[in-house]
Amino acid sequence: MSDTVKIYVDEKMMEVPAGISVAAAILGHSHSHNHSNDQSRKAFHNNSMDASPRAPYCLMGVCFECMMEIDGEANVQSCLVTVQDGMQVKRQLNTEAFHYKNTEDDLPENRRTNND
Amino acid sequence: MINHLDLLIVGAGPAGLSAAVAARSCGLDVGVVDEQGAMGGQIFRNLHLPFGRDVLDEHDKELGLQLFDAFHASGARFFSETTVWGADKNTVFCKHKGKSEKITATKILFTTGGMERPIPFKGWTLPGVMTAGAAEIILRSGGHISADKEPVVLAGNGPLLLSLAMHLIDEGIPIAAWLDTGRFSHKLGSIMHMGSALGDIPYLKRGMHMALRILKNKIPIIQGVNQIEALGENSLEKIRYQKNSKWHEVASHTLIRHENIIPRVQIASALGVELVWDSVQRYWYPKTDEYGRTNLNDVYMTGDGAFVNGGEASINKGYIAGIAIAQDMGVLSADEGALRCAESLAAMRKTCKARNYLRYVFAPNPDAYKVPDETIVCRCECVTAKEIRDAVREGFHTPDEVKRFTRAGMGPCQGRMCGNALAEIIAQEQGVSVEKVGMLRNRQPFAPVTLGEYCSLHAPKI
Repeated sequence: MSDTVKIYVDEKMMEVPAGISVAAAILGHSHSHNHSNDQSRKAFHNNSMDASPRAPYCLMGVCFECMMEIDGEANVQSCLVTVQDGMQVKRQLNTEAFHYKNTEDDLPENRRTNND
Repeated sequence: MINHLDLLIVGAGPAGLSAAVAARSCGLDVGVVDEQGAMGGQIFRNLHLPFGRDVLDEHDKELGLQLFDAFHASGARFFSETTVWGADKNTVFCKHKGKSEKITATKILFTTGGMERPIPFKGWTLPGVMTAGAAEIILRSGGHISADKEPVVLAGNGPLLLSLAMHLIDEGIPIAAWLDTGRFSHKLGSIMHMGSALGDIPYLKRGMHMALRILKNKIPIIQGVNQIEALGENSLEKIRYQKNSKWHEVASHTLIRHENIIPRVQIASALGVELVWDSVQRYWYPKTDEYGRTNLNDVYMTGDGAFVNGGEASINKGYIAGIAIAQDMGVLSADEGALRCAESLAAMRKTCKARNYLRYVFAPNPDAYKVPDETIVCRCECVTAKEIRDAVREGFHTPDEVKRFTRAGMGPCQGRMCGNALAEIIAQEQGVSVEKVGMLRNRQPFAPVTLGEYCSLHAPKI
């Protein structure tokens, strides 16, 4: 099985080995000699709270830092999905922080408590 | 998908596959689900692909291929990319490609394996920082860890760093520094257990061989590192570390941290399986007998998810569980069961003794949990160590209470990444033991489920 498949990351085509995960494909197969252009070190998504750049930490299904949009579905753990020919992958780059922290109204009674 | 099974196995790693082979040999109808795209778990990851085989050493490769062959010949069914998110008595709920399924089974065996112990440090959320397991997966996916074979930095304390270093040397990737966070006194304590490890000479030989290669390659090993910081704007640019209260810097775009393996106990905890604290390795594990029986009827747990003894032990642990399950179902007599288990049981006990040595050698340094105030502990919800400490001072004394107040552990990973550190920090702050503080309670669903996925369970069948 030394075949390759073509996936599209933010509409840019990448030819990667078949049988590997989307996250491993992007981390291991998109290096560039030019650091500012290195796609392997680019964020997979921005954290929904502070908008900081995130990329896979564990690559095996635990950390959820590999979340991306795959074939139209958002927040998919890309380390658990095997690359398929023609797959459309999008980084979830939302640079706007969710401002509920570090503000003056950050009092216990104003905190969200409905989600457990 | 499937109607009813005699045995459903959750996790297709060494323990799960081996249990399936054993149970099939007794005539049970067996299905195995795994959230990954292929079987093998972490140790035999990508063994079905050429570059996965290239990276593994001969010993592990042979073990894995034998197991795969036995599984394929067994007639057990395998369902990949299938994540289990719920369980109730003899029913399991899972999702596959956006749809939920319900599977019923007479017996359920969880072989969910281990994960690397997450220890928070400044900058650990930066792209370019990853675990040893992640680096290993990149190599086994035919990928490059760094551009142009740029040097990488290793940090931590655990057996996986050793085998990863071997693979990096094989690939020609230089190691700029190896920051050892272990405690020398633990390594001394481990000498007591060396005697039992000597019962397994080949095992020790492999370890010695690895250590010798590390020495031969003159990798700069820096001992006694007690703080690590990853620095960079949008991705890792350099690493700072503290040794003997002095700070040093090393430039690298890749930092690989490994702090040993802990069992994945989220499902055990949510189901109400009794958990026990291991004070050496500082983790909770489900209380089982040698055969994987838990305190719940029809629920079994084994492999590294029950106690970390490594992949080789897991093959035997799984086999024993598979036979025990057939025996508990009345398919085998107790005598027949004992006979069929005998060989695996003896092999397992031997490997576990050797592994017990490693349990002490790589015991985590409790000081590693002295996380600086400004460091993010909960990666998902961006909760810092200071927020956790403040919550404790305000009167919240358990991980669950602190979670409700700070949101630590409420993000998509459901506390998998921060749960252990959260409990350690709360315990430090109150000056009590982690065991007393308890662990973050897990609830169903075990994995995030979209409304669509949930509702697909109840949609009328057309």
